[in-house]
Parts: sequence; structure tokens; C-alpha cells
Amino acid sequence: MNKLSLEERVALRDSVHQLLTNECDESAVRTTMETTSGFDPVLWNKLAEMGIVGLIINEDQGGAGVGPIELETVMEEVGAALLCSPLLASGVLAAELLNALQNDDVSSQLLPAIADGSCIATAALTGQSGCWTEGGVTVSAKGNTNEWLLSGSASYVLHGQNANVLLVAASTSDGLSMFVVEAEADGLSISGLPTFDHTLRLAEISFDKVAAERITTQRPVWDAVIQALDITLVALAGEQAGAAEHCLAATVDYAKTRIQFGRAIGSFQAIKHMAADLLLETESSISAARHAAACLADGTDDATEAVSLAAFACADTFVSTAATSVQMYGGIAFTWEHPAHLYLRRARADAQLFGSSSFYRERFIQQLEA
Amino acid sequence: MDTNNKIADEELRAQVRSWLGENWTQAKAASLKQHQPLWGASDELKSWLAEVVSARWAAPRWPTEWFGRDLSNKQAKIIEAEFAAVRAPGTGQDRTNLWANTLLAGGTEVLKSKLIGPLLQGEVNMCLLYSEPNAGSDLAGIRTRADRQEDHYVVNGQKVWTSGAMTADYGMLIARTDWDVPKHQGISYFYCPMKQEGIEVRPLRQITNESQFNEVFITDALIPAENLLGNFNQGWQMLQTALAYERLIMGEGARGPRSGGNKKAKNVEVLIALAREAGVLEQPKLRQDIAQMIAYKKLNALNGARGKADISQGASSSLMSLGKLAMSRILHEEARLRTEILGPGSLFEGSDYSDAENANFLTFQAYLTSIGGGTDQIQRNIIGERVLGLPKEPEVDKKIPFREVRAS
Repeated sequence: MNKLSLEERVALRDSVHQLLTNECDESAVRTTMETTSGFDPVLWNKLAEMGIVGLIINEDQGGAGVGPIELETVMEEVGAALLCSPLLASGVLAAELLNALQNDDVSSQLLPAIADGSCIATAALTGQSGCWTEGGVTVSAKGNTNEWLLSGSASYVLHGQNANVLLVAASTSDGLSMFVVEAEADGLSISGLPTFDHTLRLAEISFDKVAAERITTQRPVWDAVIQALDITLVALAGEQAGAAEHCLAATVDYAKTRIQFGRAIGSFQAIKHMAADLLLETESSISAARHAAACLADGTDDATEAVSLAAFACADTFVSTAATSVQMYGGIAFTWEHPAHLYLRRARADAQLFGSSSFYRERFIQQLEA
Repeated sequence: MDTNNKIADEELRAQVRSWLGENWTQAKAASLKQHQPLWGASDELKSWLAEVVSARWAAPRWPTEWFGRDLSNKQAKIIEAEFAAVRAPGTGQDRTNLWANTLLAGGTEVLKSKLIGPLLQGEVNMCLLYSEPNAGSDLAGIRTRADRQEDHYVVNGQKVWTSGAMTADYGMLIARTDWDVPKHQGISYFYCPMKQEGIEVRPLRQITNESQFNEVFITDALIPAENLLGNFNQGWQMLQTALAYERLIMGEGARGPRSGGNKKAKNVEVLIALAREAGVLEQPKLRQDIAQMIAYKKLNALNGARGKADISQGASSSLMSLGKLAMSRILHEEARLRTEILGPGSLFEGSDYSDAENANFLTFQAYLTSIGGGTDQIQRNIIGERVLGLPKEPEVDKKIPFREVRAS
């Protein structure tokens, strides 16, 4: 894994910012979120061409070959712009899962197409319970070395309805395994779920004796899943921190220009104190996300602790910042036309995607108890 | 600058090192460590500081006429690093000596000649006479008055929250010198002699049942005219200079528990250790609360580290303004959780109940951070206005003569 210099990272951030300013403004987000796929294929191709989709995929597999620090930087911009895309599902979760499983054959078969955006991959890891532990898996696999058939169901599959390839966790007679399933496979039924965050795409998938290729690996499979989830959580934390920072800045700008009682509402301490409290939260979330990224990149002993901290701190901050901003705006933000609810919807969705804040606070304290 | 007068870094480092080698003996180090009074400097420290001052190591950034060497910040840090390496005190006072820095910035030649040397040598004890019973958050509302009479000022009023007042030789005092101009424009800044009849110091008993602060009652106390710092009626500006030094010096001021209650938790977070000991660590709600509390602490540390990194890269950082708010929440929440862990065990006091002592002490001591140095509410105003750029609240007393300002 390469690390970019600070200057290079600033340049990366600027170019993503520029692209999203041009192609992903509020009206583009509103248009995209009401399409069936929920993403803009033209913008997706541009992100792939810039190397964003393959950011954490090795260079010899067609990716940019960088790591969590660069990913987190990009995700702050992604969050601020409310980008609608399968980036987290394909370029982060699925890509890192393949990295972690260390199966060269499968990796070279899938990663180059993921990196160039032509293949959208995602991971089906949990069932109806939405429990992101090994016990949450509700797909089982039967078969032998050559032929495997999957049965059961998976849910909360990020961009499942847009995926060409699924990485599916399934229990076998000798433990958990990961499988590759083509989206076109017989017996597979993928249904999109109606999400209150219209910028999100989730699917439920049922498996009725679906032919699958087992990904052989030397590692315990759930360890690989955790590695993939950890970098996904860091990316999500970056998205949350960047989005929260954007929410606060936009609300503060409004408070400087909205006049009531003959003065800008931001001059009232009731508003000012809300903003000051939110600044502490948003700055803390940025610190948490960046620290977790640095710990993962360096493989420090406390990386799991740092990722857990970022997971709940950033999730809670984005929710509280987006929610408080609606209150600070007042009536204008109670309308569909105002963007505040788009952020609040994304915040509330992001806070549940891979487990709740309580789940990660518990994981955090378990690390500290050890 | 004349490059001939510049000294190379390595040459400077060698000079300090050899001077410390000759003068900072083990015996001196041991005797300094042995004698550490609560207030002021021990005789051992004073005599060491005198050596440091006369060798011009005390304030190397300062001009040569005031015991300094006119060195750059970078070279002064070389000296500080050498002193720190052998744990010798006394250098870096051009950063850390609030009293001497303020005096150098605004004092008359007479006063500087009289006091700067003794201040650097720890010969003079000092205190701050800023806050008053009716001027806390609104410090510019002070009502202690100083009236010019011939070659001195006559001072009357009351100050509060003064630490070190009992032993102080001088207090840095702000007093009103003009009542007919708006509040910020009629204040002057003085070095007020404390050992005189018109000054009465009474200890304050705090909410924690401890006494670290005093009230100071001032009745017809006299200040020589040359003890004015900055210009007459421009004390508010002088105060900003002094406060800037103070902020620079103050690190995290929060105290830990009163007794050695942290000993039980060498490598484990203290709340986890306490909850485990009380047999309540498995309660889900408490686990969540403890995790959140530890998260606040870690996030504050991460913010601090990020702020320092921003500053070292030459950027300004808004993160530094957030530490006080963060710390207030941490301290109040830690105290609340310590109490919750103990339950009815928190009812007691005394040395037989050290966990209760700590929980109860911290509960009250937390207000020192959330009220002291400007309340959290004032801090939120500052963050809102100076960091986020929100407009100020209209100030009803800003432009009218102070005489007409409403008081409680």
C-alpha cells in the first residue's frame, strides 16, 4: 500500500471536490436519488477514471493502490456532496473483502473490473436480523470442491440491485465460507428495499440452490470480513464527518443572513450556542475518522478501538448535526425543497448501515477492558 | 540582522550543555527537588535562578538589555531542550513567566529596572487582581476605582478569585480610572503593592470545602504612578496582552481526584476499574455511558493533537478553542459516572471512603473548569463569534459612559 504525501492528498481532495461541485450539486442529487438505480452512470465512470473507485485496489489489479487515509479524505468530500453511488459497496467493501481473502485467482478475475467501474460488486453478509456478526449469516452452502449451491436469504445488501457480482457469506458443514455469485445466476432473486433515505440503495436477496464459486482462503473467513468492514467503517466515518461539517457550515452561513427581530438569527445566543456545541462534535468526528484511518493504515495495535470510536462518534455526530440544523433553520427546513432533510435522511441511514452506535460503543469498551 | 552576531545552532547547544555541566550539579538538583513550597520559590530555587539569569539563559528571546540574548524562537528552543534534558528549571521564562512578560510589554523604565530581574529570579511573589464580585464573565464591568493624587493612585474596591494573594508582593490590577467614558475605555492596568495597610486578604472557602482562592478588600491602598502599565485608560488593551500570555502558558488546568484513587487502574481506564470493583461493569446502560465518556476524553486528545499539527504546519487552528468545552463535559460526566457506580456508597466522606471522596470532590471541582476563566456559555459565544463568524449580540452598555451602565 502506498501513502500519498500531504500535498498529493490535498490535490486528490481538491479534484474530487471539483468533480462533485460540477456533477453532483443538490439538483443532481435530487434527480439521481429518484432514478431506479440510484446512481449516475456517467459520474460513476468519471469517478472510476479518476481512480476513486479503485482507490484501495492494488496497482497490479488496475487500482490506485493507496489505503485508508486517502480513502477517508475522499469520503469527506463524498459525504459533503451527498454523492449517490455504489462506491462504498463496490470500491470499498467488496474490494477490501477480496483483498482480505487473498485468493489471487478470484482477485485478478474481479478486481480490475471493479476498479474500472465496469463491474459493480457488493457483499451479502447478514440476514433479516441485520446483525453484523458471524451469527447474523443466514445463507447456507452445500456441495463439494467443484459445485456449491447456496440457499437462504441475505438482507441489507448495499446496492444489491445494481450489482453484477455478489460476494456471499454462507455457512458450510465446516464453517463459514465466502462465495462468488453472478447476479444473473438461476435461483437468485434480488429485490430492492424501499429506503427512507432516497440516496441509498439496499436489497434483499433470496437464494434457492444458486450455483456459486467458493473463494478458498488461508484466513479465517470472518477475520477477512472484519478487515473489510473496518475499512468500510472508516470510509463511512469519513463520509459522516465530511457531511456533518458541511451541514454545520451551511447552517452557520444561513444564520448570518436570516434576519428576525431586526438582527441576524446567528447573533442570538440560543442559535450561537447550538452552533458552538456542534462545532465541538464535528471537529471531534473529523479527528476520530482521520485517526482511525491512520491506525488502519499503520496496522497499530489499537486500530480496532480507533475504528469503533470513529464508527459511533461519527455516526452520532452526523445525526445530531443534521437534526439540530433543521431546528436552527426553522420552518424553511421543514420543506421537501430544502436540502436539510436530505442530510438528515443520509445521517440516519448511515448510522444503521453496519450496526448501531451502541454496537460499536460496546465493541469499543470491550477493547478497553482487554 | 548582522550575521556576524549570529551564533550557530551547534555552538549554542555546546555552550548551554557545558554551562549546565559545570553549574547544574546533582547536589543542586536534589536539594531543589526536596524543597518545594506550595506558593513562591524556595531559597534553593532562588539561588539557582539567580545563576540562570546572570548567565542570560532565563529569557534568551528577550533583548540583551533585559537579561536576554535576542535569540530566535528556534534557538531559544535549543536552550530549553538542553535544560529539559537534565531537568533544570529556569529557562524559557520569555514564554512562561506571565508577570515578567507583561511587565516587559507595558512597564515604565523605572518599574522594569526595579522588578524584572527579581521576577526572573523568583524573588517576587505575584497575584492577579482582575475579577470582582460584580465583574466575572463581564470583566470590563469592574468597579474598583483608582484615583490619581499627585505621584500616586489611591485604590478602593474588592477583588475575588485571587490565588496566592496571601504571599504576594504585587498584584496585577485592573481598576476604573475614568467613569465618564464607555466601559472598555476607562480602565487602567497597574502593578499594585500588596504589603500595605489598605490591602486585606481573606481566604475563600470553596464549594469543595478547600481554600485556594482569596477575596481582596482594597481600602485607600496606594500605587506609585510609575507602576502604571501601558497607557492611562488603556488598561483593557494591556489586559488583552496579559491574557494572551496567560492562555499561552495555561495548559490543561483540570485536577484529578483528591486522593490517589487512580492507583487501582494502572493500565485500565479508571471508570472501568471502578465499575468492575463495584460489580456493575456488566450493566449495559452503564457500559454505554462509560464508553461514551472515555470516547469524549480520547476525542479531546485527538482534537488537541490535530490542532497542534495544524499550527506546526503554519495554519491557524480553531480546535484550540474547543478544549475548554470538551473538558467541562468530560469532568462533569466523569463525576456523574463515578457517583452512579458507587450508588449509595457515594453518600460518605472522609479518608475511609476514598472512592466517595473522589466522586464528590470531582462533582464540585468540575465547575472550576465550566465556570472558571469565563463560563462555558461565554466560551460558546467566543466560538460562535470568533471561530464561526456569527454576529455579536447587541451590547447595551458598550457605547454609553460607564457611570450610566446598569449594575446588579
